[in-house]
Amino acid sequence: MSRSGRSVQRAALTATLVAGALALAGCSSPGSSTPEESETPDASAPSESATPDCGTEPVTLKAYFETGFPLPSELAAEFEKQYPNVSFDIREDQFAVLTQSAPRVLVDDPPDLMRLPQMSELAKDGLLLNLDPYAEAFGWDEWPASQLEQMRVDENGRRGDGPLYAMGLNFSMTGVFYNKELAAQIGMTEPPKTVAELDGYMQAAKDAGLTPLAQFNGGATGGLAFPLQALMASYGDTSEINDWIYQAPGATIVTESNIAATEHLQRWVEAGYFADDVNSMDYAMMMSRFIEGDSVFIFNGDWESGNLDNQMAGNVGFFLMPPLEEGGSFGAMSAPLTYGISAYAANPDCAAFFLNWVATDETARTIAVEVGGSHPMGLADAYMPPIAEGSVTAETLAAGAAIGEQDGAMDFIANATGTVYAEGWTPNLQKLVAGEIDPVSLLEAVQAEYEREVG
Amino acid sequence: MPQRQTGPTSGLREVMSPAPGSPESRRRARRARRLRRDGLAWLLVAPAGIAYVLFVLRPMAQSVQFSFYDWDGVTQSTWVGLDNYVQVFQNSELYGSIVNAFELIVYFSIIPVALGLFTANTIRSFATSRLALVSRTVLFLPQIIPLVAAGIMWTWLYASNGTVNQVLRIIGLDRVTRAWLGDFGSALPAVGVIGAWVHFGLCMLLLLAGMTKIDPALYEAARIDGAGPVREFFAITLPSLRQEISVCITVTVIAALASFDIIYISTQGGPGNQTLVPGLAIYRLAFFSREVGLASALAVVLMVLVLGVVLPLQRLNREGDS
Amino acid sequence: MIVARREVWVGRTLLVLLMAVTILPFVSLFVTALHPAGTYPPGLQWPETPHWENFVSAFNVAKMGQLLWSSVLIEIAVVPVSLVIATFAGFALGHLRPWGARLVFVAFVLGLTLPREGVIVPLYYQMRDYGLLNTRWAIILPLIGLYMPFAVFWMRAHFVNMPEDISEAARIDGANTWQLFWRVHVPLSMPALSSLAILLFLWTWNQFLIAVVLVSDPLQRTMAGALGAFQGQWGTDIPLLCAGSLLILTPTLLVFLLFQRQFVSALLQGSLKG
Repeated sequence: MSRSGRSVQRAALTATLVAGALALAGCSSPGSSTPEESETPDASAPSESATPDCGTEPVTLKAYFETGFPLPSELAAEFEKQYPNVSFDIREDQFAVLTQSAPRVLVDDPPDLMRLPQMSELAKDGLLLNLDPYAEAFGWDEWPASQLEQMRVDENGRRGDGPLYAMGLNFSMTGVFYNKELAAQIGMTEPPKTVAELDGYMQAAKDAGLTPLAQFNGGATGGLAFPLQALMASYGDTSEINDWIYQAPGATIVTESNIAATEHLQRWVEAGYFADDVNSMDYAMMMSRFIEGDSVFIFNGDWESGNLDNQMAGNVGFFLMPPLEEGGSFGAMSAPLTYGISAYAANPDCAAFFLNWVATDETARTIAVEVGGSHPMGLADAYMPPIAEGSVTAETLAAGAAIGEQDGAMDFIANATGTVYAEGWTPNLQKLVAGEIDPVSLLEAVQAEYEREVG
Repeated sequence: MPQRQTGPTSGLREVMSPAPGSPESRRRARRARRLRRDGLAWLLVAPAGIAYVLFVLRPMAQSVQFSFYDWDGVTQSTWVGLDNYVQVFQNSELYGSIVNAFELIVYFSIIPVALGLFTANTIRSFATSRLALVSRTVLFLPQIIPLVAAGIMWTWLYASNGTVNQVLRIIGLDRVTRAWLGDFGSALPAVGVIGAWVHFGLCMLLLLAGMTKIDPALYEAARIDGAGPVREFFAITLPSLRQEISVCITVTVIAALASFDIIYISTQGGPGNQTLVPGLAIYRLAFFSREVGLASALAVVLMVLVLGVVLPLQRLNREGDS
Repeated sequence: MIVARREVWVGRTLLVLLMAVTILPFVSLFVTALHPAGTYPPGLQWPETPHWENFVSAFNVAKMGQLLWSSVLIEIAVVPVSLVIATFAGFALGHLRPWGARLVFVAFVLGLTLPREGVIVPLYYQMRDYGLLNTRWAIILPLIGLYMPFAVFWMRAHFVNMPEDISEAARIDGANTWQLFWRVHVPLSMPALSSLAILLFLWTWNQFLIAVVLVSDPLQRTMAGALGAFQGQWGTDIPLLCAGSLLILTPTLLVFLLFQRQFVSALLQGSLKG
């Protein structure tokens, strides 16, 4: 057979194959029948009994936690002790992996309890169980409303209002931790009162041959979002930032004060205040460096307070990000450590009972503070364990109270939409470190990613 | 297909023709046997064919189909025509991923093949010594371990206090040290070197096997003509290895364009989107951002690109044979 | 002669250097695995006291026993089935050559270059519709399909190269096609089949993308997928991660060292024919 004859034959064959396969694929458009529709979960969760519980039959709660944080596992262990018929089947992943697999896992391998990434899309698409009936049954409505606000999502996927789709194990707050010994070495005897003072101490640390800031910013997690948002709060108004995070109509991140804050961050980068490998540093490496005394400051949250009190007892301090001018107001990121129940979970009652137990049981609250370092959820006058004076846990709890009084709490800018952290903040903050992008373009790129999702 | 349809008519004509024992009937018997044999043959092909159609051709066609829709994987989809393809080529992140994949070819293909040629040529004369035999085992190790493991090992080697920097400091190159996977300039080459490490052994051994098949008389003739080692290499060795070289390039080019495992483990596409490749972008778009249509469009582009690069290589190979 | 000897020395040095570079990552993995868990040991440095117990804890947290069992189950399902149906098809297309065999063969060959990413998204929804997500079947079935282009190609090449005389002789002895296949061709195909078996075994063991996307429970995956999950969970504890990676690599390395001749020749032939 001649060469051309063969290639004609081959072309004809290819065409036939493609046509055949297209026919095989069926001509209906994708999504016209999804399995969920046929087995839509029973949203009216709690069963007949007035307050749901775990019963007396053996129950296995399927849980999906974040690696590197012992709090949920310790709570689970204590719960198993108190309720011997319940056992936990725990799977763990790093936050980035967890974020990427959340939409799939919630439907196809539904956990009873899951550490949630940003949740507005997940709730909007019906992957999370509506917890309002439980809130009513357990009396969560009587808690300070601000505790639950961030976990409410309306039908448009906008947070702040609407049904409750998640619950916190505690609510955490961020600021700056410092190594007291190194701080003394650079002449810092008390926390800085202004941003300029903080700048001065960083320069002093740099001049003394120390690494001022080991901040994680590698892989899929842009940790420079912590100092950036702290600076945003110093330069601007926390309510504006919150509007953007809650997807208020027309909200933008590209504002005068945010540009100024990003420029300030860029100056820190250019001055060499960050460790030179921040772009490949993960969270665990940052903690290891700080604990070993290789970094004067880190921007982090009070979820590490218990850990730091253990590992650097007496040598670690905490302050809130100072304002631009002395006497100005403080701002801090504060958010519940969110856990949700899959809409397809096998044991939603027991999972909800566990979440309620975390907020109300005295032992659980003690664990939340001592292991978790943050303030437990629940009624304002609920039991609080005694805390050693001078510990960093005591400092962070006090700072949390101060933020509460000033109304300076913000949610995390990485939580604005499901993908804005991974697709917006992370790559662009890494570019900022490498000098590949200027502050305005950074904010514009993030805004574009945000609008792509918010629509 | 048309030939099949004429089948029954010609069969009819045969039924009408008489005389058993005639050449006509013998032909008919042979034909019947042939048909039975064909039937059995198709029965034997069926299981493999069904598996192939069900899990390869059908999903391939569906990728094409999905690529014309805007679909989040859950709710009803909408037809958007070629919009997704337009996005693939307009979104700098997505076409950037394609550019990155092509850049990886340098490390996954060109370096292993060039280095493999050089090494194989140098060690050809003692290819059967004990050292060379041991090297067969050792150099093959990267081929048999999962790419995930290669990614884990190298991520740690590349860390700012890892072995790579340690070695550089020992030889006095302190200024070159950096966090290789976190640096904008070095991240993609660093990932590429992992690929080169994985593929070098296979290429070298393939080429060496090819070289030992070359007739020594050719070299002797060249020596008599006064050819030096360099001319010998270009005049004899290289042309004789056409097939091996094209095989190495084909295998490694596919590995480069379709890379996923190493990058998923070592950089997740960062820093920035410096090491984002189509495979990872498809994974993230489909399962994380849930833009199934866009992911499928990129998947189709990737399939076409691989075919477009590999087919000409095959032609080269075949022409080399004849 | 002096030139030749110098060439040999250059060659030996180069070879040793390349072997060192190949081995280095393994050594670094091993040394790092012996450091205290949770630390960030600098580069290649022998620890003050080697922490062998890291291997024990990695064995336990990775649930190595269950992982091995899961991998074995998947291999048992994938490899024999693929071998049998590919041999059938290869025999039919290479030996019997019915009308249209060429077309079908070309159709199979088209799949040879297919990147897995090209079909992974539809495969996910297909497995979801079958209700097989997060089960071993979600790895087994697609892999059998995906191996067909290569396996059929390989076996057909083998049958095409079998001399006609053998079949003719068997036919004259009165063997029908089926007997011819089982009594004559299959025994003669053992070398080709065993090489193919090695390749399929290795590819299944090392399969990552399919496992990561279609099966979220690491205990239902094969080794490479499980290693990915292990990195996802313990990637922040470097010595433990290294110990776990080594443990997960051990079975492959053992099998390779036992059958290295077969492995090397299978892989070399495999890529030559592919």
